[in-house]
Amino acid sequence: MLTDQSLIELFLKYVARSYPRIFELTLQHLTISAIALCITLTVCIPTGIFLTRREKLAPYVIGVANVFQTIPSLALLGFLIFFFGIGNDNAICALFLYSMLPVLQNTYTGIKNVPQHLVQAAKGMGMTDFQILWTVQLPLARPVILAGIRVATVWIIGTATLASAIGGGGLGKLIFSGLASIRYEIILAGAIPATLLALAADQGFKTFQAHYSPERRAQRMAKAALKHKAVKP
Amino acid sequence: MKENQPDHREKRKDEGMVVFSNVSKVYGDGTKAVDELDLVINKGELVSLIGPSGCGKTTTLKMVNRLEDCTYGKIYLGGKDITSMDPVKLRRGIGYVVQEIALMPHMSVAENIAMVPKLHRWSRKRMRDRVEELLAMSGLEPSKFSYRLPDQLSGGQKQRIGVLRALAAEPEVVLMDEPFGALDPISRDVLQNELLSIQQKLHKTIIFVTHDMDEALKISDRIVIMRDGKIEQIGTPTDIQENPRTNFVRNFIGEDRLSQISPDDSVSILIEDPWDRVTPDTNAREVLEKMENADIESIQVIDKNDRWIGMALLRDVKRVARVQGRIREAATRKRKLYIEEATMRDAAEMLADKPFSIPVIDKDDIFIGVITEAGVARLTIGRLKRPAGGGVRNVD
Repeated sequence: MLTDQSLIELFLKYVARSYPRIFELTLQHLTISAIALCITLTVCIPTGIFLTRREKLAPYVIGVANVFQTIPSLALLGFLIFFFGIGNDNAICALFLYSMLPVLQNTYTGIKNVPQHLVQAAKGMGMTDFQILWTVQLPLARPVILAGIRVATVWIIGTATLASAIGGGGLGKLIFSGLASIRYEIILAGAIPATLLALAADQGFKTFQAHYSPERRAQRMAKAALKHKAVKP
Repeated sequence: MKENQPDHREKRKDEGMVVFSNVSKVYGDGTKAVDELDLVINKGELVSLIGPSGCGKTTTLKMVNRLEDCTYGKIYLGGKDITSMDPVKLRRGIGYVVQEIALMPHMSVAENIAMVPKLHRWSRKRMRDRVEELLAMSGLEPSKFSYRLPDQLSGGQKQRIGVLRALAAEPEVVLMDEPFGALDPISRDVLQNELLSIQQKLHKTIIFVTHDMDEALKISDRIVIMRDGKIEQIGTPTDIQENPRTNFVRNFIGEDRLSQISPDDSVSILIEDPWDRVTPDTNAREVLEKMENADIESIQVIDKNDRWIGMALLRDVKRVARVQGRIREAATRKRKLYIEEATMRDAAEMLADKPFSIPVIDKDDIFIGVITEAGVARLTIGRLKRPAGGGVRNVD
C-alpha cells in the first residue's frame, strides 16, 4: 500500500510532467458539459414554461424525464451506443437526457408557484401574456429555476467522467486509465479537476443568484439614483 | 337626438362613465353570478358595491376590465362598448386595486408604481417624476421609499402603494376590489381618509367593492347593495340609512350599528373633512377676511402635502393680520388628537372644554380631518332615532 506521503509526491510529479494533457482533458470535459447543459436549458426551460400553459400534459412529460433520471447513468450511456455509436455525441445526448428532470421540474414548479393573485393583478393592469411571463413569472421563479440548473450542472460535470467509458473524452479518461493501471496519482489527476469544476460551477450560480436578488438590485438602483441626483441636483 | 330609438338601452350608454346595460354572468354550470344588472355610474363618482359573499359584486367589478366577460348584456365605458376594445388596452386605461395588494415582491416601490406607465412606454424621466409626485402626495418621502422593496413596508404602506399604482397612469376609472379588507382597523381608517382626500382632488370614477357597511357609508357617493346577483337598493349613504327599502337591506345595514358605539371607540367615524383650510403661506389678512365672511372661529393650516402645520384661532389671525404676517405665524399646535389613539371620549371632553373644532392628525403629522360639535350632535341624533325603525326587524 502506498503511504500518503508518497502518493502526494507521485501526484505532484505526475501533474508536473503531464499538466498539458490534464489541461486539455479539463477543457474537453468542460466543452462536453457545456454543450450538454446548453441543450438541456434550450429544451427544458421552454418546455417547462409550455407545460404551465398545458397543465394536463405536465405529469406525462415530467414522468418521461423522471424515467431517464432513474436509469443508471452508465447503463444509459451503453444503451445509447445503439443509436449514436461511440464518442462524444453519445455522451452529450446521455448527459442531456440525464439532466432534464431538475430543469424541467423546477421551471414548471417555479412558475406554478408564483402567487395567482400577482398574475391576476398583472393581467388586470393590462399586461400581455408574454409581459406577464417575462416581467412577473420568470423573475419570481428564477431562484427555483436556478436551483434546478445548479443541480443539473453538477450532475452533468460529475457524470461526464463516464463519457470516456464509451469512447468520449474528458477527465474520465485519466480516471479510467488510472483505475486500469492501478495508479492512484492518475485517478487523482482526473478526479480533482472534475470535482473543482463542479464546485466552481455551483458557486458561480450561487453568486449569480445573490447578485440579482431583489434586495441587491434595489440597493444598486438606490445608489445609482443618488449618484444621478449628485450629478445634476 | 333621434326620437324613436328602438331600444331604450342604446340611449343609456352615454349617460354615465360606466354603464351596465342588462348585464348577466352565467357560469358553465348554470349559476347566475350576476343577473340582469342595470347600473349607471357617473363620471367622478365613487360607487360602492356591497353585499354578502357570493352576491356577485366582485364579478360585476371584474367584468368592467374584462377579467370576466359578461354572458349577456353590454357594458359601456365612456360611451364605448367594452367588448369592441382590445382587452389589454382597455385594462391599461383602468386603475385596478385588489385586496391582496399584489405588489410585485421583486420590484422596488418605484417600479411597482410605474408598472402601467411603463406599459404605456412613458419616458424614464416622466415615470420618475410621476412616481415622486405620487409618493409625495400620499406623504411618503420619495428618496426614502422609491427603492424599498414591498417586503420592507408595513401593511398600510403597501396598500397605499397599491392605490398609487392604480392612479399612476391617470386612468379615468379605478376599480377597487376590497382594497382595505386585509388591513388592521387603524390603517384601514387612515387609508379610507386618504382615498377620500385623493378623490376630492382628482375626481376619478371609482367602483369600490366592499363587504364592510361602515366603509361603504363613509366613503361612497352612492351605495349599491347587491344580493344573489341583483341590485337590492341603490342610494346615497343617507338614503340607504334612512330609507332601507327591504328587510334584507335593513338587516344588512345593521339595525344597531350606531347603538354599538362605545365612548372608548376610535374617533374615526366622527372625522369630517373641513372646507376651512389654508396653506401656511397665505396672507393672514386674506384669511381674516375669509373667516369673517364665513363667520368661523378657527381654521386649519395645512401644507400642500397634507402636513398639518397648526390651527389658527380668529383672535390670533387678527393679531398677525395687523402686522401683515403670514397665516403660519398664527397657527398653534396645542389642540389636536392623534388618530391612532384618540377615543370619542377624548373628543367629547375637548369639545366640552372649548367649542372649536378639533384637528385630527396621525403620528407623521399628516392631517386627517376635524371633529366638530355638529358631528357629535349628528351622531347623538342618529342614536336617538334608531329605536323607531327597530320594530320591523326580522320580519322575513
